[in-house]
Amino acid sequence: MARAVTTRRKIATTVLAWAIGLLIFFPIFWTILTSFKTEAQAINNPPLFWGFDFTLENYAVVQERSDYMRFLWNSVIIAGGSTILGILVAVPAAWSMAFVPSRRTKDILLWMLSTKMLPAVGVLYPISLIFVEFNLLDTRGGLILVLMLINLPIIVWMLYTYFREIPAEILEAARMDGATLKAEILYVLTPMAIPGIASTLLLNFILAWNEAFWTLNLTAASAAPLTAFIASYSSPEGLFFAKLSAASTMAIAPILILGWFSQKQLVRGLTFGAVK
Amino acid sequence: MATTTDTGADFRTRLQEWLPKLVLSPSLAIMLVFVYGFIAFTIYLSFTDSRMLPSFGWVGWDNYDRLFRVREWNVALTNLAIFASLYIVICTLIGLTLAILLDQKIRGEGVLRPIFLYPMALSFIVTGTAWKWFLDPAIGLENTMHLWGWESFTFNWIKDREMAIYTIVIAAVWQSSGFVMAMFLAGLRGIDNEILKAAQMDGASNFQLYRRIILPQLRPAFLSAFVILSHLAIKSYDLVIALTGGGPGNATALPATFMYSYTFTRNQMGIGAASAVIMLMTIAAIMVPYLYAELREKK
Repeated sequence: MARAVTTRRKIATTVLAWAIGLLIFFPIFWTILTSFKTEAQAINNPPLFWGFDFTLENYAVVQERSDYMRFLWNSVIIAGGSTILGILVAVPAAWSMAFVPSRRTKDILLWMLSTKMLPAVGVLYPISLIFVEFNLLDTRGGLILVLMLINLPIIVWMLYTYFREIPAEILEAARMDGATLKAEILYVLTPMAIPGIASTLLLNFILAWNEAFWTLNLTAASAAPLTAFIASYSSPEGLFFAKLSAASTMAIAPILILGWFSQKQLVRGLTFGAVK
Repeated sequence: MATTTDTGADFRTRLQEWLPKLVLSPSLAIMLVFVYGFIAFTIYLSFTDSRMLPSFGWVGWDNYDRLFRVREWNVALTNLAIFASLYIVICTLIGLTLAILLDQKIRGEGVLRPIFLYPMALSFIVTGTAWKWFLDPAIGLENTMHLWGWESFTFNWIKDREMAIYTIVIAAVWQSSGFVMAMFLAGLRGIDNEILKAAQMDGASNFQLYRRIILPQLRPAFLSAFVILSHLAIKSYDLVIALTGGGPGNATALPATFMYSYTFTRNQMGIGAASAVIMLMTIAAIMVPYLYAELREKK
């Protein structure tokens, strides 16, 4: 009897959890689905889940209207560039704090993390003044620098937490065997650090990709990434659902793919390590 | 010969000693200059008579005084209070419920968890824009319902000065709930099963189990969720810009959008800087004690 009740309860919770999950996912699913329909089918009653004429016309229209590929390329360069640059700067710092901690390490980490929570408007003036001064407005190089700067704390922090998980005994053993610092870093540390670096890379790429405050305010046309692309569709101007859906699908497609693989990193990064 | 190897070894040990500090310093220097240096500059500007360009005439607390007499700023603060409290409370409730559901070891959890988390991986600017279309009476939900023959259906919150702020809550909650769920789920998984079993043996009901044992143990998760959600709320910019542009009128302005528009459309840099400083201080007041406690605990 008791068993029957628990089974029934289990089924109920499973159904409920799935129902909420589908509800949350529905807008994304529906957007993608609608992007492949004609405008008439997009607002068909009843809504069409299948049996519509699959069309790529919406994508062609959007590409023609606003040159998606250029925005996409800018996003790739800016997010990728700032991430790689950030990792290059952060790896030595994280290595130093994780393996040669000093009395101050905790305080430094606290101080670094705190900077990530501060609002962007706090540094808006100096950065825009510098951008004007050095002609960095609407350049990819300028954005790469800014995004690297704002994400550096989180990169250092993430790398630090991953590096900390590398057991110190292994390093000691390597040292006992007479490994030099160079050998230690090259043959012992690096292979074990790569998964952590890859995770940090992934997370930061997504963060940089999604960043909108700076990308919207510091670009006009030539360096504008996908955030600006989607913002330009903010007022529909005669476009209807199928076209708008195609535009948003194009904006989120890369993240939909990366997002699936980076759930853990996302939680870990956005909670500042409170959740591992 | 012996001396050279000696200095060589000496040099090496000294390098080993200094290298960690040496490699740490670029990151530290960058953050020191580009975060704290720049913030210091903003704080300084907030005490000057800067308008369109920075100017260095000292005016004391004047900008702060004037800021709080600007009607839009007070609107932005009221909006922030409404938005932040609803956002934090609803996200926490939904997140906790979802986490408890998922913690029942249900079928397909591995697929469900990423689905709940998906919205958080998307850019606020994309979700804001998509929600804007969806909530727009002319093309979205209302129009669709009319086309389907439900003529009397109305849902025009986004055009309504009184209700527009709640559309931002809807979009933000959709985006963040799954993320809060992940935080609580981690907390739930961290609870010692032995304690639960012991309590069950003693005849505790499920409700008692949650109320007396599980929820109290989730205290750190509640705290993290609160700090993270509140700093996201105070920083909110992209979502509002994409969803309502701060409108209708300035009905959905938040401090960050106020700061931006007041500086660049009204050329009031001094007052804008003062508003940025207020936001910085608010976040610091929530965050510093939390991070401090967090790090002390982890020792």
